Amino acid sequence: MPEYLEDPSVLTKDKLKSELLANNVALPTGDQRKDVYVQLYLKNLTVQNKKIPSTDAFSSDEELPVPVVSNKSRSGRKATRKTDKPRPEDLDVTKLTSEGLKDELLKYGVNVGPIVATTRKLYERRLQKLLDHGPPETVTLPMVITQVDSNHNGNSNSDRYSDKEEEVTTVPEPEPVTVPVVERPVRSRGKTPVTTRTRSSQHNRVEKIAAGEQTPSRVDEKDVLKEMFPYETNTPTGINATCRRPIRGAAGRPLKSGDLWTDETLLRSTSNSSYSESRTATVHRVTTLPPSTRLVTSVTPPAGKAVAPPRGLPFWLKLLLLSVVAGFIFFVYQTMETNAMAPFGGSSDSTQTSDS
Amino acid sequence: MPAQCVASHKMSTTSQKHRDFVAEPMGDKPVTALSGIGEVLGKKLEEQGFDKAFAVLGQYLLLRKDGELFTEWLKDTSGANSRNAASCSQCLREWCDSFL
Repeated sequence: MPEYLEDPSVLTKDKLKSELLANNVALPTGDQRKDVYVQLYLKNLTVQNKKIPSTDAFSSDEELPVPVVSNKSRSGRKATRKTDKPRPEDLDVTKLTSEGLKDELLKYGVNVGPIVATTRKLYERRLQKLLDHGPPETVTLPMVITQVDSNHNGNSNSDRYSDKEEEVTTVPEPEPVTVPVVERPVRSRGKTPVTTRTRSSQHNRVEKIAAGEQTPSRVDEKDVLKEMFPYETNTPTGINATCRRPIRGAAGRPLKSGDLWTDETLLRSTSNSSYSESRTATVHRVTTLPPSTRLVTSVTPPAGKAVAPPRGLPFWLKLLLLSVVAGFIFFVYQTMETNAMAPFGGSSDSTQTSDS
Repeated sequence: MPAQCVASHKMSTTSQKHRDFVAEPMGDKPVTALSGIGEVLGKKLEEQGFDKAFAVLGQYLLLRKDGELFTEWLKDTSGANSRNAASCSQCLREWCDSFL
């Protein structure tokens, strides 16, 4: 396509005239100044210069500026974005590689295992939580607590707990409670390592909570505790003590009709003068239960309390029975020993009496 | 000893299932042998490919025996609640203490 000069002033006046004529541009009559011809040239020819390509690809003109602009804007954004921050909060945890994820978690002091298919999501979530709680990495979440209930294996974990205790400086309040019971004590501030050792029992945990926990964690804790102990009453100290069932017949406490259980056992033990009954131990006790209950029910209204007390036998009664059984066994042994001639005679006597 | 002693008096906070599991190597026990994992949860775990107790143990070890992470994982995978997950976690932890 014909390329016209962008700057026709380089041409002489004559040249301009001839160019204009060649392109059928109307020349003004008479001899004009060069400028006139230059303008004419520009108007008519240079315009054509531009027009031709534009008509062919009309859209390109529009497109060209647009991408340029957007590019500029994008580059502008890029220029302003600081990627040099050590830990930008808009870090997308899902885009991290396993190595990257591991490194990030290590910065927070998390004990990271291999990032595999099953563990990845968990670690991503953990990192996200850590990021949400603010870049201050001094916040170490209670990743703690592998121990939930009583630690049967001694204080092997207590050191870990105390370490974690020291690391906690700020408390992440909005943190979702995953293992509620477990996390509670660690999150509290100002806890001494000593108290962590007593965590072995839930009661101790409750006490520690009462010992000056923060209100939010206390509230969370209470919810969890309520979940676990729905029947426990709410006390200011958080300590719940259940009364021990009074031992009937001990310490001068009179036996009542409600103590059917003890009545039965007493009756049975009193009838046990020859230690014979106890010989048959459990089996006979069970079988003799109905007759005794019938016997006792005639005396006192059972009110459906013919079964053993919910808490089991009182301790003293257990000891009594134990001594009875021990005595009986000793008696049998003695009998057998002295009656070497008629061993069956001696033992059979006792068995016969026990059967009756 | 007398039958009365058997009553309903609970000695500790762990269940019989827990005690049974922690008492011996798990061998090929099914996943429902784990404390806190019943039929429903067991089925869900099996669907995910964790059909044996040792598979769940594997996951626990992968998470470096972190109880919190493990309970999280268990809840995600099987829909267990906090209590069951914590129970399972403790069960595995004690088993590891004895046998690992």
